Amino acid sequence: MTARGILVCAALVLAGCATSSVVLLPEEDGGHGEIALRAKDGKGGETVMKDANSRATLGGSQPSVRPLGARGLKAEEAALLAALPPPAKSFTLYFKEGTTELARESAGMLEQIRAEVASRPGAEVQVTGHTDTVGSDADNDALSRRRADEIVGWLATKGFDRRAMSSVGRGERELKERTADNVSDAVNRRVEVLVR
Amino acid sequence: MSLLMVRTTLLLAWLTATVATPALAEIGRVKSSTGAANVERAAQKLPAATGQELLAGDWLETGKDGRISLTFVDNTRFAVGPDSRIALSKFEYNATTQKGSFIARVERGSIAVVTGRITKTRCDDMPVQCGMQVETPDGDIDARGTRFIITVRK
Repeated sequence: MTARGILVCAALVLAGCATSSVVLLPEEDGGHGEIALRAKDGKGGETVMKDANSRATLGGSQPSVRPLGARGLKAEEAALLAALPPPAKSFTLYFKEGTTELARESAGMLEQIRAEVASRPGAEVQVTGHTDTVGSDADNDALSRRRADEIVGWLATKGFDRRAMSSVGRGERELKERTADNVSDAVNRRVEVLVR
Repeated sequence: MSLLMVRTTLLLAWLTATVATPALAEIGRVKSSTGAANVERAAQKLPAATGQELLAGDWLETGKDGRISLTFVDNTRFAVGPDSRIALSKFEYNATTQKGSFIARVERGSIAVVTGRITKTRCDDMPVQCGMQVETPDGDIDARGTRFIITVRK
């Protein structure tokens, strides 16, 4: 920070010095990543924030990093976190061999998916169909696509906009359980539904 | 259909896919907004209504009472605070490889970010820039898979 910047900040300390800052937080699952900072003049090189719950101040030639400490987040920062959309949620539905008919244990999950979509304003749904390795690649591409379309079609009957839904068939390319060719496998016959 | 017609159709389809799609590909959607909140696209100013589609190059703009929450196709999530101006300068994402490059610019205001797939898939083999960068008037940050808040001084 320049001498003038320090003076300006010192004058503003009581009001809270208005400097650009970055706060690194733990991720929702507990882990956390890193953030590399580069000041605009570029002379200080790269400063890496490694610890969650730390704050970096940008603006000088070298960013300064310190723990958030007892003061924690500012009110506006807490409000921002609260306004983040919820994380995407994924569901897996299983199918009877060679069909677009749901396996019995998956029938109840449709309602959970419907409720999840309904609970999210502006929800988007991404549906990916898969098969096991029984049959030809071409047949499985088509079957996986039909499985995905079946779910999108069902959601459309519940009033959800098709323009907010997409479906794709991955055939037997992404096996959940790696098997030899022409092996019937209940875990691989599935559709993954991502609700965002 | 004659072979020539098939070829012409295929060529047209290919041209449409390669020329038109990148500019128009949806990169995310507005999930909610309050107060004065807009998406600026070239000379257009669109209200940041729930479900509004976002394209690379769009600007997010909020007034003193404005907020926007949004998600991107790689599952990145944003909450934009009041009195903000933020550019979605670059967003390229390959849904199959889950690799891509995202550059946002916070000109003023504040933003909370939970990074998505773009920062979670290693891309050492990519010749071009990859991952997520956020530019501010005071410096740039490189987000390596995490949750963070940026506030740009007024």
